[in-house]
Amino acid sequence: MLLTVGGNILRIAFLILLQALVVSRIQLFDGLILPWVYIFGILMLPFETPRWLTLTVGFIVGWTMDYFSGPMGLHSTACVTLAYMQPIVQKFISPREGYDSIQRPTIQSMGLPWYLTYAGVLTLIHHSWFFFFEVFRFSDFFYQLVHILLSSAATIVLMTIGQYLIFNSKSSQL
Amino acid sequence: MRNILVLIQRFYLFLLFLLLQLVALYILFDNNNFHRAEFIQHSNDWTGFIYGKRSQLSEYLRLGEINDELSLENAVLRSERPENFITTRSGADSVENTKTLQRYVYRTAKVVNATVNREKNFLTLDRGLLSGVKADMGVLANGCLVGVVRSASDHFAVVMPVIHADFKASVKLKKYGVIGSLEWAGGNPGVADVVEIPKNIPAAIGDTVLTSGYSTFYPAEVLVGTIESVDDESSNEYHILKIKLGADIRLLSQVQVVSDILKMEQDSLLDKVIQQDAAYSRR
Repeated sequence: MLLTVGGNILRIAFLILLQALVVSRIQLFDGLILPWVYIFGILMLPFETPRWLTLTVGFIVGWTMDYFSGPMGLHSTACVTLAYMQPIVQKFISPREGYDSIQRPTIQSMGLPWYLTYAGVLTLIHHSWFFFFEVFRFSDFFYQLVHILLSSAATIVLMTIGQYLIFNSKSSQL
Repeated sequence: MRNILVLIQRFYLFLLFLLLQLVALYILFDNNNFHRAEFIQHSNDWTGFIYGKRSQLSEYLRLGEINDELSLENAVLRSERPENFITTRSGADSVENTKTLQRYVYRTAKVVNATVNREKNFLTLDRGLLSGVKADMGVLANGCLVGVVRSASDHFAVVMPVIHADFKASVKLKKYGVIGSLEWAGGNPGVADVVEIPKNIPAAIGDTVLTSGYSTFYPAEVLVGTIESVDDESSNEYHILKIKLGADIRLLSQVQVVSDILKMEQDSLLDKVIQQDAAYSRR
């Protein structure tokens, strides 16, 4: 229990620093592709996390990220939406017998198709919300759409690679 | 009363979601004035510290380049030393010091963080109020326009660069002296737009664009960039000029912060006239 809590806090802190110091510096096609990989920290919260805690963690993660990469409130609103939708998406795609208490939302535990649906839907929700509120206008609609899709794709690819690097099948208990 | 409690119990998650969402959106949209919270929060000291560490590291990797820039600037400055000039005037009538009055003061600063791939980009400088850097001062790099300081804490300042969606500056074409407006529409951080130049002005590729001096943020005649392409299709009366910015925000390391000593005087005079006007029209 304590290990799980500590592991999640450490992972979230590491991901926020990774985002602010490394990933946000990546510049592809004049900012057309802008991955926000720090949401991995929210996606990896264990299944049995109470929903109020997921929401609160989402808000805190967004708020901290805002300090690094404003305007203030932008990451917060996107992350709160993500954290609200996360358990709903989990419910939608749950296996027939529900989630086991030893299962984690990882590729190793749930399989690649499940993981890609899970991460894909939630990343799209987060990125759409984020980029919509960043620009807050519907002009350049096509550009924004491409921006959202390519950035989401980049985030998902990076998160999937990260999965294979961080979790190996033995230590997937965090 | 009990019904309300039952209702809250049933929907508390959604209510918590709404509450957090309202807090976030309120903060996001509640800063529409010039000194936006967006800029204040980036000059806070702990993120400034972390970004400072990173820029120390990345700057180390391009020391050679920075060295070249600095030595070039040294050469330019050295050539401006008074010993390099001879006076062509004879006689005792040249009391230079009473004829000129210093208006602009330059301070150097280092860029510790920059975003270039967003709609609203910003730079963080390693100097703040304690070094005399305040809001509304202009920022230049090697004599080219970079942006304007929007907010400063004790040790850091945050700059709104040219490549910020809300940035606007009054500029002119060097060749013709016509005034236009500098904007940035997103996308390529090396290119900005100049609008409001009438089509009867024969603007051509390669022409130089300078600041107009109408704003009290920067001196006049500061290089902004050169025209890269001329678009006459999108508007009926005006050119839309794409200009290549003189200062590449992506590669900035050393910048100069310009403070205008007479800014207060100029601004307060205008304010006074505006107030008098308002009083006059009320009568």
